[in-house]
Amino acid sequence: MNFISKLRSGKFIITAEISPPKGTDTSRMLRDAALLKDIADAVNVTDNQRAVMRMSPIAACSILQGKGFETIMHITCRDRNRLALQSELVGASALGIGNVLVMSGDHPSKGDHVGAKPVYDLDSVQLLGMIRELNRGVDLSGNKLDGRTDFCVGAVTNTELNEAGLIKLKKKIKMGVNFLQTQAVFDVEKFSGFMERADEIRSTQSKQIKIIAGIIPLRSERSALFLNKVPGIRVPDDMIKQIKDAKDPEVEGMRITAEIIKKLRTMCDGIHIMPVGNHENTKKLLEMADLI
Amino acid sequence: MIISRQKEFNNILQMLGEIDIFIIGCGKCAKKQRAGGEPEVLEMKKKLEDAGKNITGWTVLSSACSITSWADVLSQNPGINKADALLVMSCGGGVSVISGFAGKQVYPALDTESLGGVCCNEVVTEQCGMCGDCTIWLYGGICPVIRCAKSLLNGPCGGAVQGKCEVDERLCAWDKIFERLKELGKLENIENIHEPKDHLKTRVKKA
Repeated sequence: MNFISKLRSGKFIITAEISPPKGTDTSRMLRDAALLKDIADAVNVTDNQRAVMRMSPIAACSILQGKGFETIMHITCRDRNRLALQSELVGASALGIGNVLVMSGDHPSKGDHVGAKPVYDLDSVQLLGMIRELNRGVDLSGNKLDGRTDFCVGAVTNTELNEAGLIKLKKKIKMGVNFLQTQAVFDVEKFSGFMERADEIRSTQSKQIKIIAGIIPLRSERSALFLNKVPGIRVPDDMIKQIKDAKDPEVEGMRITAEIIKKLRTMCDGIHIMPVGNHENTKKLLEMADLI
Repeated sequence: MIISRQKEFNNILQMLGEIDIFIIGCGKCAKKQRAGGEPEVLEMKKKLEDAGKNITGWTVLSSACSITSWADVLSQNPGINKADALLVMSCGGGVSVISGFAGKQVYPALDTESLGGVCCNEVVTEQCGMCGDCTIWLYGGICPVIRCAKSLLNGPCGGAVQGKCEVDERLCAWDKIFERLKELGKLENIENIHEPKDHLKTRVKKA
């Protein structure tokens, strides 16, 4: 069963994030992917995440698909104008990549090429609209395509949104997304508040949209403190203290994360694991959370 | 008003290959920002002389980007013909216009940053992105093309932390746009989906 069918079946979805290599050596990426075999319903492949230059996600997805993984290709507005975005998407589709996740993308000033020209020719809402057109067999200028795309489309969202952010989320949903992936969740109670608002939007727009909660396994007090500086992430103080006081912070982090996942299971449609380049503990984590 | 700032003096010195230099200031935007008015021109003259340059003269044009007659400028400033190069203390518009007339090497002393304005004697930067298709009224008078670091037209990016833009010290433009539209009772403006910019309109139309 492919990813879109799994979304439609109502199965609790598990996705996991993989970074393309910084260079041509794909061995580490493939090692990471191998750890996800038979675990993840699809593998997310990032697009120059944090504005750090890496192999193009289209190449990385193609390689991974060749190894039998279904991928979700990230595509950001940062590096490509509307022509490049469309040619990339059409190419991805022809290579058998069926799922895309759309986002604005971190600004180049956050990455390793700070002098790069930011593009942002389209924003994420407009990019979603463009993909809808490609799926209809038409490009952004209204020209007919020789063969349309058939993407299952996702968008991203923070779970603590101000009113302007909520308006943007509504617009993304209006553009016809199949699923939403959220920034990492640590505060389940606050996430529940987010889900209430999301359900309100879903009930008026489309009930079919699945919401997949982001998970970043905590590994140490330091990593928790670092995460607190990332936009849209908030690790509660008591959780940081729990890690700090633990004999083995990594094990404690896994325990906390598994608990979060167990609670989320009844609240949303799936989880998305982002362990930042290390899936060694992913299988164990899912076992601890009774998901596999 | 065009917002510009003076280059580092060392950079200016590195640019200037020639010895005999004439300095031209600008009495409009650069003067207002204290980057290219008379005091700055005189200071530049002194620094360049201290660095071994021969200043053949100086002037502050009423507006470097808007010259009625180059012949008049020349007749009033004989030092221009004696110089091997001109150093222009104006925005890129002024430097370009003067370069078009001068027939000799012209150097910029300022870097041009953005289109802004002056309000109550305070210079305000980054007010207009010069997109050639002004839709500022949809955003409560706050231009997202220039005020949002990613020029997003449909809402914030999720990169702001406590209202601060992920890129620099500026506040998230979208918080301001939201607040202003709320005050004006026009939130429907951002609830509507805005299409991609038509960048054809940005390009200069040639006659």
